[in-house]
Amino acid sequence: MNQREMHRRKIRRHTSRPACLTAVVLLACGVPADGGRVGELRGTPMHTPIPKPDLVLTDTEGRRFSLRDETEGQVTLVFFGYTHCPDVCPIQMATLGAAFGDLSPELRSRIEVIFVSTDPERDTPERLRSWLDGFDKAFVGLRGSIEQINEALSSMMLPGVAMMPAESHGEPVIGHPAAVLAFGPDGLARIRYGFGVRRSDWSHDLPLLVSP
Amino acid sequence: MPAIQWWCFAQQEAWSWTWRPLVGVWVVIGLLAWAYRRLLSGVDPGAEPESVGRWRRASFASALFLLWASLDWPLGPLGASYLASVHMVQFLAVGVAAPALLLLALPRAAFEALRARPRTLGLVEAVTQPVAAFFIFNIAMTTSHWPGVVDGLMPTQAGSFLLDLVWFAAGLVFWWPLVAPVPERAGFQPMGKIAYLALNAILIRPPFAMMIFSEHPIYSIYELAPPVAGDPLDDQQFAGVIMEIGLAWIMFSGVVVVFDRWRRSEAAGAS
Repeated sequence: MNQREMHRRKIRRHTSRPACLTAVVLLACGVPADGGRVGELRGTPMHTPIPKPDLVLTDTEGRRFSLRDETEGQVTLVFFGYTHCPDVCPIQMATLGAAFGDLSPELRSRIEVIFVSTDPERDTPERLRSWLDGFDKAFVGLRGSIEQINEALSSMMLPGVAMMPAESHGEPVIGHPAAVLAFGPDGLARIRYGFGVRRSDWSHDLPLLVSP
Repeated sequence: MPAIQWWCFAQQEAWSWTWRPLVGVWVVIGLLAWAYRRLLSGVDPGAEPESVGRWRRASFASALFLLWASLDWPLGPLGASYLASVHMVQFLAVGVAAPALLLLALPRAAFEALRARPRTLGLVEAVTQPVAAFFIFNIAMTTSHWPGVVDGLMPTQAGSFLLDLVWFAAGLVFWWPLVAPVPERAGFQPMGKIAYLALNAILIRPPFAMMIFSEHPIYSIYELAPPVAGDPLDDQQFAGVIMEIGLAWIMFSGVVVVFDRWRRSEAAGAS
């Protein structure tokens, strides 16, 4: 199996698994939890709200960063990926970054975008900062151990990090969730944005996510 | 060994500079070359001056080169999957410049041969009537660049091939009344031809206005493609500019040619 095929499988796997999970949860729970304006949003509703994980990592300046404490009361968009990713990560971050850049300073100040590296070995703080700055300087980059990341992913009912060996002359490929989870100011995620969300979707949804 | 494809299409994988064979492109180019050679073999070589023959062969070679360069690797895959601006360069080559060069490459006898086929000639006459040709070309151009159509067709080889085919056919229809001597159109004189070309040069088609003025990328295949160069919105706006300026440049080149021929024929008539 070549690298391209692995990427394709990675995209399929990580876009379909959470969707299946959502469908299962929907069948199990029936009525959606109170999600405010979830119905107006273009993301995929999660019928069981997921609490923000108790994740304490290190930011690109080397400071301790507690996800719950540092983002309390904010709309928080969390994405797990890696800077060497050839497709999903740069596309997700670019579409989100472009829409985020169009927001008013007031709206921007009410949204935190958190990128958690699933490749802490190669994603040095400098590399991570430089890569994120290419999308938006306000984006926060976090690093931690794979065990911490997998624990957080598990608590959010997302598939864990999958390391795939490099082919000859190729880069190692890392399987990771393709979705961005949107946590409300109450610390609960009721909506996710899988791969394929476009800039126009973010431009539509970001103001709605921060409105009460 | 790189994967062999028939035609380039939108693929959701990172761009690579590894060469990829596109067999369909070679087959089409080969068939065109074979058909032209066969056509020339049936034409009396003394029917036109040798200089005209050389000029026609150069025109054919240019058309073939444009088709090959714009459809084969790397421009083919880049335009199909990653960059709207490259897609527009392909359109100008496949849908505008190559059909004009191909029609110019045909000897007069090839057009005259249509007279022996009245039904075909009748169809050609109806389709290439200037007003009909104007609408066919512009409707095909607008439809084939509509976001839903592009996003729907480009992810498959058949869909991508169909779009290229529509471009090429619409281009032939557009240039036919300007270039082809058969059927004769006594009412379509140089001033009419100049107006026909100038109108197409200045016309702003809806997809191109969308490309330039939209606040968001309109084509999902380019917006959600693994990044190659720059921002998708900048690329899209650049594509719109390429389209409008490129098309205007080709049309005004046509105006210059028509005007020059008109001037020469007037001068020859006066002398």
